[in-house]
Amino acid sequence: MPTKRFDQARPFLTLGLVVAVWLLLPVVLKTFARASFFELTAPVTIAASRIRDLQEFWSLRLHSKSELIEAGRDLARLNSSYEMAVQQNAELRTEIARLENVLRLPSFQEYRYEHARVARRDFSGWWQRIVIRKGRNFGIPVGAPVVFTGGVVGRVSEVHLTTSVVDLISNPGVRLAGVIEGDPLGRPISFQGGVNPTFAPPTGIVEFVPLDIIATPQSPKRLVTSGLGGVFPPGLSLGTITKAELGSDGLFKSGEIKLDERLGSVSEVTVLVPLTPGTD
Amino acid sequence: MRRIAVIFAGQLLLWLIMAELNHLLTGTRVYLFVAALYVVHGAMLQPWRAGFTASLLAGLLCDSTSPVVFGTHLVLFAAAHVAVFHLRDRLPREDVAGNVVVMLLVNLGLFIVFSFTQVHHSPAPGAAWLRLAVDLLCSQVFIALVTPWFFALQARALVLAQVERENFA
Repeated sequence: MPTKRFDQARPFLTLGLVVAVWLLLPVVLKTFARASFFELTAPVTIAASRIRDLQEFWSLRLHSKSELIEAGRDLARLNSSYEMAVQQNAELRTEIARLENVLRLPSFQEYRYEHARVARRDFSGWWQRIVIRKGRNFGIPVGAPVVFTGGVVGRVSEVHLTTSVVDLISNPGVRLAGVIEGDPLGRPISFQGGVNPTFAPPTGIVEFVPLDIIATPQSPKRLVTSGLGGVFPPGLSLGTITKAELGSDGLFKSGEIKLDERLGSVSEVTVLVPLTPGTD
Repeated sequence: MRRIAVIFAGQLLLWLIMAELNHLLTGTRVYLFVAALYVVHGAMLQPWRAGFTASLLAGLLCDSTSPVVFGTHLVLFAAAHVAVFHLRDRLPREDVAGNVVVMLLVNLGLFIVFSFTQVHHSPAPGAAWLRLAVDLLCSQVFIALVTPWFFALQARALVLAQVERENFA
């Protein structure tokens, strides 16, 4: 009879033992276990991503020659306008460098652009993140800003051997400072990733909005990065504030910001790797 | 040992399929949560040691790829495994419909407990529950559809690996 009782209690005793061992296990071993299991899945994730790329390649091959000619023509037009922008950019950089020298201002942070394919998107109600196909092998650092054509994507939160994990700006844990585009005073506004409702674009929350800022769905205000904190360069698009209402303290407004819908299907991003002085 | 490896291989395949499916669903902002699939087969049909070890490994696998405190899935899966294993003699183990019902109940429990551990990160927890409710509904429908396939896959893999005999499959 006692043997039978012990057999019945054995699963619970084992569970208690597992929990106790887990709580007492040194952090080093837990970190090692986490990294090991992640690296176990990394080749699977990358292989699946490459298969998707191959699938896309073969589907693109089905396009007719006339479609390709049209696409080439459109690209040529885009290239010519970008070439003009590049020339203007070079002139502006020279002007900035001249003004920095004259006024003895500290120069802006320089970045190296590392383009990366998205291997996996993982958007749940609890977190929003992507895995990209570049990691320590390309010198990606933790905390580096990540951008795409629609503006800011997020920030690198984990770096592994051949992959990195990026927390999206729609992730509830991501907070950063932004400014309203065109605000002459450049007053900082707090941005936080928010609730991401089903079948709707991602949203975020803005706080400490100055009282004179009026934002409605009819006249939204564009929020860009402020450059404060030194992580994100200034002027990158975060989204559009569609609602700003007086907060409970009566000193500032709080509201909702609509993020770029393309975040949900992002497949290519650029990591801005900060350059320390003296490196290329 | 071989039994554990075969069960874990099936769980790894399930993880890959779910990762790809959730990747494709990101445009619609729907997320499928299928934690019970990692646990229930081992708890209902496998010997204690092999099933429990496989559940722990699956918990570590999910922990390593999620931004949660490392060990969250491990403890949840272990607790769910023990609960199902304790009750399995009183559950209809050979009946597909019975397995599906157990799977749905376990997934519901895991989803609710996991949500309570994570929802405090949200700036608007009240609004977050609406999204989570939709995710739960979609996950339950998905689980009801794939449970028979996953049980059959695990059974067939165990036969192919010569861990079990054909009549058990």
